[in-house]
Amino acid sequence: MNGEQPVRVAQLSCGPEHSGVQKEIYEAAAMVNAEMFFPDVALADIKKAYLDFGLEAKSADLKLAIARAKALVDGSVEADAVFIATCFRCSEAAIVRNELRRYILNNSSLPVVSYSFTERTKAGTLLTRMEALTTIAKRRALLAREKQVGLTLGVDSGSSTTKAVVMKNDEIIGTGWTPTTGVIDSAETVITSALEEAGIKLSEIEAIGTTGYGRYLIGDKFKADLIQEELTVNSKGAVYLAGQQHGEATVIDIGGMDNKAISVQDGIPGTFTMGGICAGASGRFLEMTAKRLGIEITELGPLAMEGFSKNVPMNSYCIVFGTQSLVNALAEGHSKADVAAAACRSVAEQVFEQQLQEVDIKEPVIMVGGTSLIEGLVREMGRLLQTEIVVPPYSQFIGSVGSALLSSGFIGDK
Amino acid sequence: MANKEYKPEFSGTVTKYVFVESPDTTPQQLAIKAYEISKGVMIKETCFGLQVTGEPSEVTNLINELRKTDPAHIFVKDRGFPPGDPRRCRANLGGARPGYYGHEFEMGLIRFVSRGLLKMNAGEKAEAAIIETIKRREKSQLSLERLLKTINSEEP
Amino acid sequence: MSKVFIYPSTSLILSDMVERFGHEPLGVAIAIRERIQTPGLDSPPLQMTPEDPKKGLKYAAVEVPSGVRGRMALFGPLIEEAEAAIIINDSDLAFGCMGCSRTNELVKFSVRQRKEIPVLDLNYPSDEEEGLAFVQSIKEFLDSLTKKSGDRKEV
Repeated sequence: MNGEQPVRVAQLSCGPEHSGVQKEIYEAAAMVNAEMFFPDVALADIKKAYLDFGLEAKSADLKLAIARAKALVDGSVEADAVFIATCFRCSEAAIVRNELRRYILNNSSLPVVSYSFTERTKAGTLLTRMEALTTIAKRRALLAREKQVGLTLGVDSGSSTTKAVVMKNDEIIGTGWTPTTGVIDSAETVITSALEEAGIKLSEIEAIGTTGYGRYLIGDKFKADLIQEELTVNSKGAVYLAGQQHGEATVIDIGGMDNKAISVQDGIPGTFTMGGICAGASGRFLEMTAKRLGIEITELGPLAMEGFSKNVPMNSYCIVFGTQSLVNALAEGHSKADVAAAACRSVAEQVFEQQLQEVDIKEPVIMVGGTSLIEGLVREMGRLLQTEIVVPPYSQFIGSVGSALLSSGFIGDK
Repeated sequence: MANKEYKPEFSGTVTKYVFVESPDTTPQQLAIKAYEISKGVMIKETCFGLQVTGEPSEVTNLINELRKTDPAHIFVKDRGFPPGDPRRCRANLGGARPGYYGHEFEMGLIRFVSRGLLKMNAGEKAEAAIIETIKRREKSQLSLERLLKTINSEEP
Repeated sequence: MSKVFIYPSTSLILSDMVERFGHEPLGVAIAIRERIQTPGLDSPPLQMTPEDPKKGLKYAAVEVPSGVRGRMALFGPLIEEAEAAIIINDSDLAFGCMGCSRTNELVKFSVRQRKEIPVLDLNYPSDEEEGLAFVQSIKEFLDSLTKKSGDRKEV
């Protein structure tokens, strides 16, 4: 990306300077060649915009954020993307943050990401979101790719598992999967097995793409052509595998550490949320449930399908409380199948409550990632959203497939 | 992402804004006056007046002298940052720093304060009812009597 | 000379009035200056670090948003140091350090909790007559502080 014009990201915020995290925002932006700026408005604009917008926030910095948002929508200030940030646990700011996000998305073509920070927020946490934001703003050509060409390798270094696929002329010809231990070691393991299955040598690969938490480390090690965060890669991979490259779709990826919900239009992410308050809303809670039930995680899905989730009260808003209700339910004599179903329901509910509210759900809803193989979880999510959820083939390899697909755009560059 | 060490500049100094909103004194005139008596105090001209930086006692002396030139129309305030600091610069932020709007708001009504100072110095006393209004904790409502007075005082 | 906390703490008018009538205004610029002039980790733009919201725990509990606690780390020590305070109650358009309404509610409350210090409540003037009342009220308030501290010295 060297030499490219920086992506200009407008910041609408209340509190990051006084929380001591503004520096982290600047750092995350600098890492993806983005530049934060504060849209310029006059005092008279603030008073007018605030009245026009009609949301009676009392805090002056939120009024200022509203005026800045209006300046972006009206076009009096130009930007490539918008970053909205307010303090975690502030309800006044949460209302403004959500309404501004909706307002900008409905009235402009600017990509928006919103985030609520604490004083512990670090640049690393913001990086993935900032990278997705700048990619959507400036690299649309890259995301327009619909077919994989040549011989490419995609590696997804996730927090729980590492995956790799080898693709040749729009087909998957080799896969590898292992729990993540050492980032590089795990990557080497999965690459070796994917190459073996494909009957290919690493030297024959024409382009490599990496994604996931370890993307920079393995990207550097294997001299990847494309190092890309998982929000754009996964949404691309999902619509590709589901055969939904045109029109609307929603991608849900319940990961081992955090979850992604992405609203996609023609294969390009629109709104997205990433995070989750606690691992109680992630695949990690299901792993714990399986352990407690004395079964493999692969057995949890089929077991849950035999149970009735409503028979067991469970709320995994917090993983500790979730585990307590798990222990209590078993002590009360509930069947393992009901408990498994309840755990699936609880995770689905948390994702629904914490994240899907921020994304406009448009059908088809595609579930990807390792957790999409847990049928019980897919069923509960479908019930909550009242839709038939699509789980494409190779859904657990979504990041690797997306990386292999997108990296094939770099073959001609060599 | 190593944390850089921060070494402050201008340690031990104070910086103050000197705003001038006057029919008789322009920011340029104020600047000329300030340069004449600056004695080592750093002076930066701005659209609204000056920013002065130096040893606390020197800054106080300079400001006392400047105030004498137009007491009812010169206003002074502390500033946390030294002048021209890139962290607060409009060019770097893309827009005004938040404090700017607060100044803009107060400068919009500073003429009432100036008039108040002139009246007070001329020995006028405020009416008890108006003092009560200005000290009211709840946002004041304009009384009918005062509204009529204001309307009648408007030129046709 | 008394130390007078001003609210809004970013107010040009109050800062000026207090200094003009011979007292020391305690505005937020003082707290920012202290941070700007102290060596440490580079943390632009305000030299406020995640340590500030932690210091703010002295004034607000951990469930209070970080921005409130960070701002309280600026205001809290000033309020503790104050010997008097002037509050403009209709100051809805003060931004930045004063840009959070929740913090501002807590700042005012903290000032009023210090029952031993005199507090002058005011509104912004909206005409010349109010301008006179505004200036006169401040002068009388500040003069009364001088008298009080003078009395104490005589005792």
